[in-house]
Amino acid sequence: MSLAATTEAPSKNSPGPAGHPSFLKNAWRIIAKKPGRLLGLAIIVLFTLMAIFGPYLYPRQLPINPNAIYAPISWHYPLGTDFEGTSNLALIITGARYVLFAAAMAAVFTVVFGTALGLISGYYLGWPDSVIMRVTDFILTIPGFPLLVVLSTIWNFGQPMAMGFVLGITGWGGLARAVRSQTLSLRERGFIEAARTLGLSPFHILFKEILPNVGSYIAMNLLLAVTGSIYAEVGLFFLGVVPFQVNNWGVMLNLAVFSAGAMSSTQALPYLLSPLLALLILTLGVVLFLDAVDEMFNPRLKEA
Amino acid sequence: MGAEWPLNANTKAVGITIRDLEVVYSTGQGQVPAVNGVDLDIAGGQITGIIGESGSGKSTLAMAIMNAVPHPGRIVKGSVVVDGVGNMLTLDKESQRRARGRNLGFVFQAAQNSLNPLTRVGHQVLDLGRSHNVRDLRGLLRRAKELLHRMGMDADRVLTAYQHELSGGMRQRVGIMFALVLDAQVVILDEPTTALDMLSQASVLEIVRSIHEERNITTILITHDMGVVADLADRVVVMYGGELAEEGETAEVLAHPAHPYTKGLIRAIPRISGDLSQAVALSGSPPDLKTFMQSGCLFYDRCPERVAECQVKRPPYESAGPERKVACFRVMPHD
Amino acid sequence: MKNILVRLAKRIFAGIIMVLVMASFTFFLVRMMPGNPVSAKYNELIMRGMTPVQAMDEVRVMYGFIPHQPLWQQYLHYIVQILHLNLGTSISYEGVPVLHIILDAAPWTIILVTTGLIASFIVGVLAGVIAAVKRSSPTGNAITLSGSIMHGIPQFVMGLFLAYVFTTLWAILPFGAPYNAALTPGFNGPFISSLVRHAILPVATYALSSYGGWLLTMKSSVITVLGDDFILASEVRGIKAKTRVRYIAHNAILPLFTIFALSIGFMFGGSLFIEDIFDYPGLGNLLLHAIDARDYPLMSGAFLLITVAVIVANIFADFLYSVVDPRIRR
Repeated sequence: MSLAATTEAPSKNSPGPAGHPSFLKNAWRIIAKKPGRLLGLAIIVLFTLMAIFGPYLYPRQLPINPNAIYAPISWHYPLGTDFEGTSNLALIITGARYVLFAAAMAAVFTVVFGTALGLISGYYLGWPDSVIMRVTDFILTIPGFPLLVVLSTIWNFGQPMAMGFVLGITGWGGLARAVRSQTLSLRERGFIEAARTLGLSPFHILFKEILPNVGSYIAMNLLLAVTGSIYAEVGLFFLGVVPFQVNNWGVMLNLAVFSAGAMSSTQALPYLLSPLLALLILTLGVVLFLDAVDEMFNPRLKEA
Repeated sequence: MGAEWPLNANTKAVGITIRDLEVVYSTGQGQVPAVNGVDLDIAGGQITGIIGESGSGKSTLAMAIMNAVPHPGRIVKGSVVVDGVGNMLTLDKESQRRARGRNLGFVFQAAQNSLNPLTRVGHQVLDLGRSHNVRDLRGLLRRAKELLHRMGMDADRVLTAYQHELSGGMRQRVGIMFALVLDAQVVILDEPTTALDMLSQASVLEIVRSIHEERNITTILITHDMGVVADLADRVVVMYGGELAEEGETAEVLAHPAHPYTKGLIRAIPRISGDLSQAVALSGSPPDLKTFMQSGCLFYDRCPERVAECQVKRPPYESAGPERKVACFRVMPHD
Repeated sequence: MKNILVRLAKRIFAGIIMVLVMASFTFFLVRMMPGNPVSAKYNELIMRGMTPVQAMDEVRVMYGFIPHQPLWQQYLHYIVQILHLNLGTSISYEGVPVLHIILDAAPWTIILVTTGLIASFIVGVLAGVIAAVKRSSPTGNAITLSGSIMHGIPQFVMGLFLAYVFTTLWAILPFGAPYNAALTPGFNGPFISSLVRHAILPVATYALSSYGGWLLTMKSSVITVLGDDFILASEVRGIKAKTRVRYIAHNAILPLFTIFALSIGFMFGGSLFIEDIFDYPGLGNLLLHAIDARDYPLMSGAFLLITVAVIVANIFADFLYSVVDPRIRR
């Protein structure tokens, strides 16, 4: 039984005695309220499926067709082809896996680092807090992209896990701050004091009392971290600072703009637009869905 | 002092006539009648205390007099006629705005931050003057200083201060100054002593009393504290669940309360001397949405004197003697 | 007044520390490069026939530190050089001091970023106010949605999109380079107009990709302030609408200063893309070029300057905030 749950006034959003079921039901109700949110969720699900199952739909080596280089949009090639005659649609679908997987990894690392450091900082205070906050401020000040491209010179993080790790290492600042401030406000409200008086172990306090209360920040941040990471990795490939092993959207953009001269002629246009379109649709999906997440976790926005 | 002062040459006391006032709040659970069918005459030049529990609608009533009920509340019907101004609920927007502050002063609870945190107090006084087309702004500041000085504050320091540099008690007194500086003839004080320590409470009440005497201002005190009412008010109005329960001269009502709710309120106050257990708390809880839906008296569930008729209809608010009104079937039996 | 100066001094001091930390970071970074380019260069020079002393001198001038010395000595030497503003010489631009190169490139980045920032701020804040005031209406919702979407689109996507639409699809704006190379630089009409025409797209990219952030923050800030007690109090005191609007705007803009500081970093970071796409000789492009050419001194210098710019901007924003918010002043 959680101290926080018993002392907070019951609201529509707090988990019922069984824990999860009412939360999901509530979440669905919020999502279903506006059609935009459903669309957003559908888009996200679509891309996730693309990422997971996409590569299975095509042979390992995508077919090249020297006769159909930069072919225009047609039934056979719904998004046109690239410089080798490979269908852009196939490239998008197979490229999704790297993009989303790396982003998911990045989000995981960001959340793990950010939450852990934020909790430690807010709970222990004293010098761990000072040290962690200095480091966080430092990380937050350094402009992200320049740092990433500079790091790319010493380490080739083309592998999705490595990419995720690097993005996570550089991106946990904001979440750490948010978690820390939430922990501090819980402290001010007496949760920590009360739990300590009851003799609960720090471990229990951190994970059973504080963590559920910062859950809302984490959820919001998770979604934003995923999208931010997607742009970061696509951007890095686009700049050409990370050598590419596996096809992904960033690679496509890079080749389209710098090798295929898509900027100056309409020939390679589908090759350029396909990844752009994929990114834009995914962005749209996340933005629409974020509206629902916001309402789920921010009771102040609930309409009367 | 220039020829502009005092702003209101009219020294005749200003009364307020409220008829059939209804204010409704839209909540997640439905429409709550915060003020329901209130007919009230506020006598000019007197101190009227409006007393009730939290949620009784007294603050909403006060805001309604100013026609400043905040969202999600709205005034559904009724009239609020202020002598010399008109019906606040039907006047054009500009006249309403002018009346507020100039004819009707409002003092917020001390707990509220009624000042702009980014501007000095003095500048806000000037903004107030400019909004009301006061030409002699220097004179206005002098009046403000006078008022602050009377309330025991270092006027120069306060006028140059920002809100966060003042204590709660000081902010409350600054609020009173804002309500009086334009010579308003009606001043409404919303819970003037809640959130203040005992010493500040006493001094605030003293200020209210002396200003009232001096300028014959119609004063309305909103409070849940019977002690404040007993101390200052000429008349007292008791509210319950958005409706008026009882009203009359303070001394009379305190000595011979008619409505069971009023009796309960008085009984609940512990005497300074005497056994604590003699104070009896009111049983039950304040009205909720369900209570508002019932057809009988709102106080039915908690009333020790109820009879069958009380459950069927709402008792009408009627005269029970000179300057006295009650809404209770036990006091005014209907056959 | 004294308080403000003390705060400023503290901030500047902290900033200097941060810059030194960054410099140290790049120092160790270069040493961590695969193949240790410093030793590689040293060996290469020896093979070319230089004496060890000459080679060491050469490498020291290039990289700012001396190989084969104990690490701490190298580090110390490096830091001292930094404090003397000696950032070494470029490898790809043979013999040219890094400091000159980055100072030449800096104005381009700063001008673009500043213009973009101001444009996005003005549009975003105004739109945010409208979105807040009309928040239940279709207009308000549409404005908010536009802000959210723009906010979500990454800068380089925006840049590519704009570049494509306005230079290829509708060739109304020039593409690439800061100005028409055929013109002579100077205070003449054609040059200035060419400068402006070429700058439209990059600035628009900065502005469009960040106005969403201003919009959303301002909207939420205005809504919060509208719910504040003192706004109701001012209405009840009969304050004129104009004055109330001033109160609201003043209070609502304040929290935006923290966003301002973050925006600066974001903008400078994004300069990598925008200068790459539009071929502007700014710091971002310089950094990319340096990485491409493995020109480590130049890379360190460019990275350092970018970081310094962000730190300075943050200090400025912080200072501005403490001046504007009386609650912090005292």
